This record gives sequence, C-alpha cells and structure tokens, in this order.
Amino acid sequence: MIDKNIPTDLTAARHLTEEVLSLADAAGYSEDDRFAIRLALEEALINAIKHGNKFDPARQVRVSADVGNEQTTITVCDDGAGFDPSAVPDPTADENLEKPSGRGIMLMRAYMDEVSYNDYGNEVRMTKRRCTGLPHLAGHN
Amino acid sequence: MTDSSHNTPLKMDVTTYDDAAVLVITGSVSISDADRLQEKLEELAAERTPVIVLDLKEMDFICSAGLGAIIVGHLKCRHHAGQIRLACPAEAVRELLEMTCLTKLFDIYDSVEEALAGE
Repeated sequence: MIDKNIPTDLTAARHLTEEVLSLADAAGYSEDDRFAIRLALEEALINAIKHGNKFDPARQVRVSADVGNEQTTITVCDDGAGFDPSAVPDPTADENLEKPSGRGIMLMRAYMDEVSYNDYGNEVRMTKRRCTGLPHLAGHN
Repeated sequence: MTDSSHNTPLKMDVTTYDDAAVLVITGSVSISDADRLQEKLEELAAERTPVIVLDLKEMDFICSAGLGAIIVGHLKCRHHAGQIRLACPAEAVRELLEMTCLTKLFDIYDSVEEALAGE
C-alpha cells in the first residue's frame, strides 16, 4: 500500500509510477495489466501536475495505491480548482485528432475497469481488476 | 525486478538519408521524456526532412504526452508537406494507436524499409 504526497514534479511522478509497478510486478500482474496500470497512473499524474497544480511547486499531489491480489485501486488528488471530466471533448473525433493533448481521460477509462471523480473534480479514483484481454472503449467519454 | 525494467530509459538514434530520416526510439516515452521526443522531431522537421520514419520496434511504452509529441512533429512536418510514418510498433503500442484513432493520422508499416518506400 502506498499513500503519500509527492511534489508537483514529473520526475517525482515517474518515481512514484516505478514504485507502483514494482508492487504490481511483485504481485505477479501480467505485462498487459502492468501496461494498463502504468498508462492510467501516468495520465492521472500528468493531469494532476499540469492541469490541476499547473506546475506550481507550492502544490502537492496526493497518491494512494492499493495493489492487491485481485485488483489495484489508485487515487490521485491535486490541489487545483478541479474540472468537469464530462466536458472534455472526445479526442477520437476527427476534428480533435490533431490536437496534441486531451487523451488522458479517455485512456484512463479505456485501460482501467472503473474510473470516477469526486464532485470537486480534483481527485480521480481508478480500479484495475487483475485480468487478461484487451482494454475496452465502451463509454470512454 | 529493478526499477529500470519498468522504465527503460528513452534512447533515440537518427539515421539520415537523402530525402528521409529514420528515428529509432528505444525504451519508454514516459511523462518525463515526452519533451525530448518532441524536441527531436521538431529538429528533424526544421531540416525540412520529407519523410521521417519512427522505428518503434524497441519502444515498450508511450504515454499521451508522447503521442502528443508525435502529433506536434506531424504538424510541423506539414508546413513543408513532409510526413511522419510509423514502423513496427509493439502490439501494446499498436493497440494504443488504434484506440486513440491515431492510425487515421499516421500510416503504420511492418518494416522500416516499407515505411521508407511508403508501400
């Protein structure tokens, strides 16, 4: 179980990701599951650091990760003003394909089994059930 | 397993030809590496390279910021009617490209040779 604050810093985020992946690896998660967890966690951390905390070093990111035998649950919370995840445009729409950003939420939803936000919109909670098979796209927006 | 096995350091090697460049990407394009990839692609685009082939065979991970870096490169290349082509992505990366519909923007080839030839 990981439960800590990290600075608003991409290197700290990378180290945190390594820590979670080490736990998933020790628990025997498959390569596909570890890819999914890594991708979703990185996307959540990028959103927290870039859009939530706006790279402000005075702010922090709170992360908890429970890597269990059957599932992994991760919560990422920033100090920002929050946002409405339902208002994020579909990045797979033709008019958005050439936009360099805006894919993070879609990827979290595609690769994790459950993704939810708090009412304030500054905390995401994601669960990946230990399984095999392809990620799903249903209802990614 | 050590930390390094989760995040193979990003390595980029460029081979230039008369009218093309092949950028071999090895390792992970992680949250702290996407800027480097973008800088490299912008550098190649600034040289007005007509075709840039990204050899993805040894790239084991890419996040959305990395995908964004490739898109920025694509937009820069378009200024001189250049093109970015993707070659040999690993299965997980190919699925990611398909899921994000970036296969509509980029042609994907099974080998670098085919990507260079555009066939």
